[in-house]
Amino acid sequence: MPTLTASSEDVRVYEVAVLYPSVLHQKEEQQTLKEVETLFAEAGAKLMEKDAWSRRGLAYSIRGHKEGNFVMYYFEMDPAKLKEVDEALRIIPHILRHLIVKPPKGYQVIKFSAEYDQWLKTRETDAQKKDREKEEALQRQVADKAKRQARRATEKKKEIVEESSPIEEDKLTEELEKLISDDELDI
Amino acid sequence: MAKKSQQRRTDPRKKQCPFCEKEAKYIDWKDYPTLKPFIDYFGNIRQRYYTGVCLRHQKMLKTAVERSRFMGMLAYRK
Repeated sequence: MPTLTASSEDVRVYEVAVLYPSVLHQKEEQQTLKEVETLFAEAGAKLMEKDAWSRRGLAYSIRGHKEGNFVMYYFEMDPAKLKEVDEALRIIPHILRHLIVKPPKGYQVIKFSAEYDQWLKTRETDAQKKDREKEEALQRQVADKAKRQARRATEKKKEIVEESSPIEEDKLTEELEKLISDDELDI
Repeated sequence: MAKKSQQRRTDPRKKQCPFCEKEAKYIDWKDYPTLKPFIDYFGNIRQRYYTGVCLRHQKMLKTAVERSRFMGMLAYRK
């Protein structure tokens, strides 16, 4: 993250944000950006840093566009020429909005294009976490059901076994009684 | 008495300013993730009373939010 400081006392650092619609063709896009850059070059501005954001949704529709691209420029420029540049930026076609801000002293340029993506990723992970938790809960429920069913099945089997075993005992007792009652046996 | 103390809200004076904790000298209008929690559902800036932001940072927050509203990052009114 480079810090921005003016090279001399005659110039100041300005942050220029430009918003243009995302539906532009590549040629038009390049043209508009070139126009902006040439405008600043004519005003004797020195480009220090540039940060182009990817397509972003707008909070409200501007001239019928609901999505736009941002480009941030950091220029070193003579303050006297700021007004001309500001008015000229308004005239350039395909530019929805522009904003010129004087950043504070010792301002560190942060590439928000990358940070925003990271933030989105963290948000996605949060959503994924919720999904995961839901899925895990469902899986647990399914597993519990399966366990219960298995238990029931085993209990039924046990009951069957228990039912079957007394009969055998009865048979055994009968046989034993027969054996006992038999007079032919000599012990 | 015990019930009453449970129902009572936390003292707003005890809240710490989230920007003072980071020692923020400037609130960037491009930083959407940090601005977002200070905006309510309708797009208004949350009161200082509820967020605990100090006056110095609330003023900075106001300029930042207004700038990002102008550039279409935040809504004026939802």
